[in-house]
Amino acid sequence: MKEKSKLSLLLGVWNTKTIVGVAIGAALFGVLMVFGGIKVFTNTSLTTAMVVVVVVAGMFGPLPAAVAAGIGNVIADLIGGWGFWFDWSIGNFVLGFFVGLLPIYGAKIDEGIFTVKHAIIYVITVIVGNAVAFGLVTPLLTYLFYSSELTVTWMQAFSAIISNGAVLLIVGIPFLFLLANRNAKKTNLTKED
Amino acid sequence: MDMSKRLFINVIPGKTFLDKLSGTTKVRLFFSLIILLIATWDFRILFPVLLLGIVGLVSIKPNWKLIGGLLTFILVVNLFNLFLIWVVTPDYGRDVVGGSTILFSVSSRYVVTAETLWYFLIRLTKFLASFIVSLTFIQAITPSEMAAGLYSIKIPYKIATIVSIAFRYIPDISRDFSDIKISMQARGMELDSKRTGLFTRLKQYILILIPLIIISFERVGNIANAMDLRGYGKGKTRTYYSEHEETPNDRRMKVFYILIYLSILAVIFCRIAFPPEFQVWAPWI
Amino acid sequence: MMKKAIVEFKDFSFKYKTQTETTLKNINLTLYQGEKVLILGSSGSGKSTLANCINGLIPFSYDGEITGSLKVAGIETKDASIFELSSHVGTVQQDTDAQFVGLSVGEDIAFSLENRSVTRDVMLEKVDYAATLVGMEDFLVQPPFHLSGGQKQKVALAGILHDEEEILLFDEPLAALDPAMGMAAVDLIDQIYREKEKTVLIIEHRLEDVLYRHVDRIILIDEGQIQMDATPDELLRSGLLKEHGIREPLYISALKNAGIHFSEAEHLDNIEELDIAKYKQAILDDMKAVKSYQAPPKDELLLHVSHVDFSYGERKVLDDVSFDVHRGEKIAIVGKNGAGKSTMAKMLCGIIRPQKGEISMGGTNCMKLSIKEIGTKIGYVMQNPNQMIVKDIIADEVRLALTLNGFTQEEIDKRVSNTLKMCNLYSMRNWPVSVLSYGQRKRVTIAAILALQPEIIILDEPTAGQDYHRYTEIMSFLEDLNRNYNITILFITHDMHLAIEYTDRAIVFADSKCIADDYVFKVLSNSKIIEQANLKQTSLVTLARQAGIEPEAFIRHFIETEREERAHGHE
Repeated sequence: MKEKSKLSLLLGVWNTKTIVGVAIGAALFGVLMVFGGIKVFTNTSLTTAMVVVVVVAGMFGPLPAAVAAGIGNVIADLIGGWGFWFDWSIGNFVLGFFVGLLPIYGAKIDEGIFTVKHAIIYVITVIVGNAVAFGLVTPLLTYLFYSSELTVTWMQAFSAIISNGAVLLIVGIPFLFLLANRNAKKTNLTKED
Repeated sequence: MDMSKRLFINVIPGKTFLDKLSGTTKVRLFFSLIILLIATWDFRILFPVLLLGIVGLVSIKPNWKLIGGLLTFILVVNLFNLFLIWVVTPDYGRDVVGGSTILFSVSSRYVVTAETLWYFLIRLTKFLASFIVSLTFIQAITPSEMAAGLYSIKIPYKIATIVSIAFRYIPDISRDFSDIKISMQARGMELDSKRTGLFTRLKQYILILIPLIIISFERVGNIANAMDLRGYGKGKTRTYYSEHEETPNDRRMKVFYILIYLSILAVIFCRIAFPPEFQVWAPWI
Repeated sequence: MMKKAIVEFKDFSFKYKTQTETTLKNINLTLYQGEKVLILGSSGSGKSTLANCINGLIPFSYDGEITGSLKVAGIETKDASIFELSSHVGTVQQDTDAQFVGLSVGEDIAFSLENRSVTRDVMLEKVDYAATLVGMEDFLVQPPFHLSGGQKQKVALAGILHDEEEILLFDEPLAALDPAMGMAAVDLIDQIYREKEKTVLIIEHRLEDVLYRHVDRIILIDEGQIQMDATPDELLRSGLLKEHGIREPLYISALKNAGIHFSEAEHLDNIEELDIAKYKQAILDDMKAVKSYQAPPKDELLLHVSHVDFSYGERKVLDDVSFDVHRGEKIAIVGKNGAGKSTMAKMLCGIIRPQKGEISMGGTNCMKLSIKEIGTKIGYVMQNPNQMIVKDIIADEVRLALTLNGFTQEEIDKRVSNTLKMCNLYSMRNWPVSVLSYGQRKRVTIAAILALQPEIIILDEPTAGQDYHRYTEIMSFLEDLNRNYNITILFITHDMHLAIEYTDRAIVFADSKCIADDYVFKVLSNSKIIEQANLKQTSLVTLARQAGIEPEAFIRHFIETEREERAHGHE
């Protein structure tokens, strides 16, 4: 029974609310990727888009978060007009899934639950997720899809790992604390003089 | 960000031949070309696809001002990438093409070979073709047609809905983003990159993102209710208002993309049945 | 012929899973086929919950406990799916943006048909038919972004006119509309009701606006219970409105102010049919009793806008606009959407700059200042407080602008505590923002702006979508700020009640021009201006005309009386 609930937590419940939440997440992701970033290296930019994924994860679970990141990347390609790069979309999907694991460990941003323990887990998921997504999956796909040469792909992947990692850690952690506090439901408040 | 910056994808359908095809045709055609481009390294296939892409792009009469800058950017990025490959492995052509005909040398290590240049030409063609085919697709399709087209290739309609709902609310999100940014500027936030460092600007982004994310997700419940109230998710199937019936032109293009899917199969079959010694074919090897 | 019951509540109660108290308590109510019913109540009265029970969102989307029975079109709702109910009940929601889920008008109207897998040829026919019913047939390919709130709402209505639904449910249809659009919406609902012979339920708190067209019955709800189930006349005569947080129609208040009791009057719900002649003497006597209006003396000149022009590309949005603002004034900037009032506000804040003309403050030319510098002189409060609030603690939010502007720590602390005291937030300074009500959040955003000690604050639709109680809460707070601290306030609004009750002067925009700049009572009694600016004629004018009294004097008198009453309330 418990196994099953963990699985459904991973997959999320795909009702209309989840569909819409993922869509809004993907739209935010796309918009921030195209307009809210600071260019660092070709094909990669220092973008704040990934924090959206954590919010989607907190509300709907890791798979919805991953879908929001993957489709969000496709949407960025569509509105930015720089062509489709499925290798990167799939990389973002994978990273989204890892970053989206937070609620499995009890963090619920939309209910104001985000502690230091969660922040540490978050750091680990960001590092592992980045390594798997852009250190492994994307270069492999790029290799299969477009190029037989790996050095440049590695360089791009490396810069993606650095910039995504930096944003997720430097911006992500204070952001998550602040957002969780904004959503916190506190009781027993007294007026002071 | 400001909304005067146009999105590349158009919401209102255009009037040219490609614009008027159905979403189904556009999506299937696009995937056929992209898969073909991914599957092959043969210049004899890549080059015609590139030409086809260029013809397609010209035919939809795009906004060249918008596209020009982007094309230059993609070209520069790719040439730079090629240069990097050359710096790392100057004689790369030997591995993939299978020869090392030195044209001239800069130093004993840095030589320029015909095979490396040939590989670079093919790689550039492959990237440019992918880019131009994608760009044509993006410019010729509306988000609604895309949802219908994705559904036609058996992608669950709930995924197709994510794409169309996302596009529906992008203008609203963009407007909120710029409103919030302006109100923060009025409260004293300095966003000018000349006056603030990268780190400060990132920190300030958090201040803008918080309200943006809160009000964006505030909508979710209302939108979902509006959809549920009109029977969304009731059936296993769905029809699309934006998806018109097959026209004679759609049927012609259907023959065309079926041929391309067949040739993809042929390309893959050939690679498995007669594995080439080197990945990239060259006329002189 | 026996009337057929179509909605039947029997001993029905509902409690949300997330709440401790029951929201709907023991409701017994029957609505009949072909009726047009207004369900009236303030925010939190339970009226929206009632609506969500009828259309099936409860229990489908909102978890909770249901006791008793509710049958809609003969179906017991707790056993039915929302899809089954949606083919009987068509709902138009209040948020015109959120419910527009299609990427074009045609697509949105087709949405329910798409979900039912209707073939495209049938769909096209039905969409054309429904679009023509609401007058949107020429907009089928339009994306929603450029449509007005009224047009979006017409689309929402067309989306439920595909013949299957016999009940049309409107959940606060007027919330997002300007006055003229609101009138058009009420009219359209009435027209569809008559032509299509549907059962129509309107959920609203804006009584006077809904009564613009006849309704058969009004159900007044408060605290989760039915307080009254009566005809409009009976309800208006009952005097129950104010105590349940509903604003009386203005003409009723005006007649009551003149000491008129209408126990025997007929047609109270329709001012056109109300026999006013017999009250004329009472009104005239009352007008004599109160001292005549005296314009407050003008303080120093703060802001001078002189002949400014602005265009977006080819489209001119501000054309030769001039006006002055003096210290301590409360000014309403009114006009329909797109008339130029929001552009004017943006220009005052320095977001856009005049292409011609000049804006100056106390001798300084504002065009030379940055947005940040202007921000310390003119503060701008956005409509939705959630658009502005960044920090999690009240005091931090108020502190933010001061920190960004680089004040010294000592100065920051002083200003923060002063501002919090001004806004009655000092005792709550360490509270998280998340626990605050809408009105309190609004106050926090105003405090966050006031911390910079601007000369003028501009509020964009401060009361949009709020019921009478919250409206009064927000507006009396602003009135106190103005009275006690002499803060100059500009309201961008299309709420004529707000202009009448709380401002001294109205600047009216229409078609990118400033067409009037005068006392509110003068603007409102000028029918040419009203028409040009897409404003709604207030019922005070109709009342005065019917009684044969000069409207200007009558409105002026009404404003005076109301203010005096409020001033007494303060003492």
